[in-house]
Amino acid sequence: MALRSGNQMVAEGAIKAGCKFFAGYPITPASGIYKGMIDMLPLGGGVAVSSPDEISALAYCVGASMRGFKAMTATSGPGWALMIETVQYALITETPVVICVVQRLGPSTGGATQGGQGDILITEFASSGGYTIPVLYPTNAKECYELTALAFNWAEKLRSPVILLSDKEVGMTIESVDYSSLNEPALINRHNIHKTDLDFKEWTMYGFDSPDMIAKFAPVGGDIKVTATGSAHNSEGNLKKNDVETISILKHLEEKIQIHKDELVLVKEDLEDNAATLIISFGITARTVMEAVKEARLAGKKVSALTIHSMFPIPEKEIMKCTSAARRVIVAEENIGGQYRKLIRHLLMGKEIGINKIGGMISPKEIIERIV
Amino acid sequence: MNIVDPCSYMTQGAVMPFCKGCGHSNILKRINEALSLLNLDPKDVCLVTDIGCIGLADALFDKVHTVHTTHGRSTAFATGIALADKILAEKKLKTIVLIGDGGSMIGLLHIVNAALINVDVTVIVANNFLFGMTGGQQSSLTPEHFVTQTSPFGSLTPSLDICAVAEASKGGFIARKTSTDKDLTDVIAWAVAHNGFSIIEVLELCTEHAVKRNDLKGNSLTDLAETEGHKMGIIKESVERKEFSRKYSDDAKSHMAKIKPAKFIEPKLEHNLSRPIGIVISGSAGERIQSSAGFLCEAAVNCGLYITQKNDNPVTQGSGFSLSEVIISPCEINYTGVDIADYVIIASEDGMKELINQNVFDRVNNDTIFIIDESISFSSNGFNVLSLPLRKSCGNDKAALGAINYFVKKYNPFPHNRLKDIVAKKYEKYEGVFKKEYYKLVNADTEAGKI
Repeated sequence: MALRSGNQMVAEGAIKAGCKFFAGYPITPASGIYKGMIDMLPLGGGVAVSSPDEISALAYCVGASMRGFKAMTATSGPGWALMIETVQYALITETPVVICVVQRLGPSTGGATQGGQGDILITEFASSGGYTIPVLYPTNAKECYELTALAFNWAEKLRSPVILLSDKEVGMTIESVDYSSLNEPALINRHNIHKTDLDFKEWTMYGFDSPDMIAKFAPVGGDIKVTATGSAHNSEGNLKKNDVETISILKHLEEKIQIHKDELVLVKEDLEDNAATLIISFGITARTVMEAVKEARLAGKKVSALTIHSMFPIPEKEIMKCTSAARRVIVAEENIGGQYRKLIRHLLMGKEIGINKIGGMISPKEIIERIV
Repeated sequence: MNIVDPCSYMTQGAVMPFCKGCGHSNILKRINEALSLLNLDPKDVCLVTDIGCIGLADALFDKVHTVHTTHGRSTAFATGIALADKILAEKKLKTIVLIGDGGSMIGLLHIVNAALINVDVTVIVANNFLFGMTGGQQSSLTPEHFVTQTSPFGSLTPSLDICAVAEASKGGFIARKTSTDKDLTDVIAWAVAHNGFSIIEVLELCTEHAVKRNDLKGNSLTDLAETEGHKMGIIKESVERKEFSRKYSDDAKSHMAKIKPAKFIEPKLEHNLSRPIGIVISGSAGERIQSSAGFLCEAAVNCGLYITQKNDNPVTQGSGFSLSEVIISPCEINYTGVDIADYVIIASEDGMKELINQNVFDRVNNDTIFIIDESISFSSNGFNVLSLPLRKSCGNDKAALGAINYFVKKYNPFPHNRLKDIVAKKYEKYEGVFKKEYYKLVNADTEAGKI
């Protein structure tokens, strides 16, 4: 057992996953990750540096990843706003990188030491063109470790930026963590290809033979010339306008995520037969829901819960399956208007009810009183 | 005229995409020559290009790695590439940034930081005094009185001396040249060979937008710079400062030696709780509120209990209040909020004020037990209040710890010895932590009882 914050476990999970480069800029409530990486990453044979702002932090990480190393940065809402330019660059250049966004109360500077779940829409719609950036969301310190490692796997597998969404309460709360219960995912290592590899075949920067294929990664500095660009490009990375190949490369940025969608599902179902109410939640609110469900069941009520870890791509099948068995679907989230609810409304068959709040965690009582 | 000669780094037979007379063609040819002069393996060179006409350069270098980036950010991406190369890989890459005058202002902090950390990156600023690709608008490097599309009567502002900025940022190699200087190849080679940050601002003309609007002839580029008070030539060449990676490994090693190994606990199941309890501990910044709460948590986990601890303090951190909310539970904790506090510990007046501020008194009931310092004015209003001389008998910075110790001894959520051991580990000996009268008080007051 150990006492750890979610942020510390993100750092430990990243190092476990083979992260070798971290660049950080201080921001509450994400600074614990930065501090953790500065302290621990050199022990893991990596390098953690301070950057002069969040734009630099992510750009350093993307550069280090292009050089062939797994990289991560961490921030909160205001810093995430600055990184949105560069996450799109990582997306179009198909550079694996993990960004941990520990949400706080927004908008703008908002409440630095207050929690929130208000960055769901900005995270999903961070790119011009609306490309899907995979997003994982843990609910506790243990999952911070496990899902960080998974985020690295997804980034490598998909050659894409992956967001680990967290929140102040998940990130900064210190809790007892049972290390013996940690699930260690099989790691996908960075496979940097070289011409000298025995199995080397003809290769292009961004080429694919079939939609499910993702080009292997050649590092800057390797024996294969890298041509990376944030401009629309052909399979070789050369800047092009609207030719057929260039458009197909752009489409493939989304296609490669959608085609692997079923492998990118991570939800926790706690279903009860004949339960009239299903509660969908994520992050810190999922823990409130767990408590509410426990208490409601003790009081003899039937209720089901679905915790979403893989926020994006949206786990549609799982949401629909759970929804079809329920009469009403509560979506609980710490923001105004129900950001995730808006995105999954089409799956909820008109049964949805939002529980929303800002300025504090939703309490079990606020959930229980809505369970029939 | 614009056909590139066969060479090792550029695309054979490539046609320069620039306007006739544009200085960009010269700069790229000189870079090519400089790389030849240094006899670098093309795969050991990475050209990081920015947005604008100069950013078209990557298409002309088909032998070296090219990374075409977002506007102004080229130096930041280059910094990441070079840091990873120098610290994590074979330290072989030469990373060269090609950026225009517009981009260099957007990305000024990236240039400043690259110079400050002294990363092995060469920045070549192709300064044609305006945004050429978008129609000739003025940039931050446009000289005063210079006519552009958006300064039709001459720029109202003087230009930024980017070399002076690099100098103030402690860059090691700094030069300002013109694109037609005969020694430009040598200067670029020198900058690239320099182990650490280097920058060359190359002055040139945009034939499409600058020449038409301004009277520029002969030595006018040098004159322009000098009128603006900008030095020409090699401005600084110093290897006094170590390149970043050479400092990092030493620094990281010495830092690592000071890092305490991660703490693990082997719990021994031994406690008296049948339900979770919530404890709010509040006091003044700098008086070890949060670390004392941490001792309580560690002792609880030692006994096989689960905990959550949330800490709060003002943004200034070193002044005002400090607060911890702790849950200790015999089962795993889902909800981490303390909706009704079972115990409230208040170690100082700052702590009291903050509890009122955060409406903590809305989260207590008649069963809540308050353990407070005697100096705090507290109208008990039917609350269970234990007012103790904590600050006097424990010292201000141990008042919270004294209260926590009192709480564990009196209410016995788990064996007091477990907390004693942790306190002893921190302060060598449990008996020496507080003043004698505190131990007397605790022993007299605390008849252990179950919660």
